Amino acid sequence: MTDGPLYNSILLGGRGGTNSGQLRVHAGGIAWKKQGGGKVVEVNKGDIVGVTWMKIPRTYQLGIRTKEGVFYKFTGFRDQDVSSLTTYIQTNIGVTPEEKQLSVSGRNWGEVDLNGNMLTFVVGSKHGFEVSLADVSQTQMQGKNDVVLEFHVDDTTGANEKDSLVEMGFHIPNSNTQYVGDENRP
Amino acid sequence: GAGDGRGVAKGSLDLIAYKNVNDIPPARELMIQIDQRNEAIILPLYGSMVPFHIATVKSVSSQQDNRTCYIRIIFNVPGAAVSPHDANTIKFQGAIYLKEVSFRSKDPRHISEVVNMIKTLRRQVASRESERAERAT
Repeated sequence: MTDGPLYNSILLGGRGGTNSGQLRVHAGGIAWKKQGGGKVVEVNKGDIVGVTWMKIPRTYQLGIRTKEGVFYKFTGFRDQDVSSLTTYIQTNIGVTPEEKQLSVSGRNWGEVDLNGNMLTFVVGSKHGFEVSLADVSQTQMQGKNDVVLEFHVDDTTGANEKDSLVEMGFHIPNSNTQYVGDENRP
Repeated sequence: GAGDGRGVAKGSLDLIAYKNVNDIPPARELMIQIDQRNEAIILPLYGSMVPFHIATVKSVSSQQDNRTCYIRIIFNVPGAAVSPHDANTIKFQGAIYLKEVSFRSKDPRHISEVVNMIKTLRRQVASRESERAERAT
């Protein structure tokens, strides 16, 4: 498939940082290729269960959620790309992109949303951050109220970030009734 | 307080680091950043820069072995002896708190800079807030 809009300098974000590449959205799905070769991400139309737009500093981020519970983040779209690509996705992929808002308040409390492999931290109905549980090497309970996630340290992904997340701890007060018992261990 | 456009100007109940997405400074690199003007720390989480208000930070420490350097940031959570969020705890019952994050860094100098900047910023904000509280009584 070579039809459909093509976007250059689109960053694929994830563990280890971001990689720049080329994203094509076509009638059969999406395809992203890393600049200079290497990593390729292809998602078939039928595997796309959700599409989101989020305004982030200076640019827009397109989120693609798959049937398998993977969430791809593509960053680097201009204002004018958003409406044209929204229309294209609606028409050709049959999914209506939703608008998500980034939390900028700087709070460290919110809700935890588990969807497939993704753990999303939601602050007052806005998007805080997300991490992939597939990268968690160990989960520990500390005391009655704390859960600590340890992340794989991976040097092979061509990581371009200077500071890499290795551990993250959540505090779940007794007043929280959403997660009890074993569900504390996602 | 009349509000000077800065973070905790109206007290910790209205803890706001940024009002608008575009106010977040652009990231030069995926690394921990300190925004002194807006009193925030910005953390690289899965390729995104995520802001946290300095008032949510309880402590910061770093550790170095061989050529690898680690930084740990601990956030305020309810139940701690002195938490500036106690009023918030009641307001946001049922919330889950991010309690700590640790990063491994390739740049020890950057990490010691970050640790110092966070400590200084915390002190500045804390002393300003206590002055404000004194004036209010």
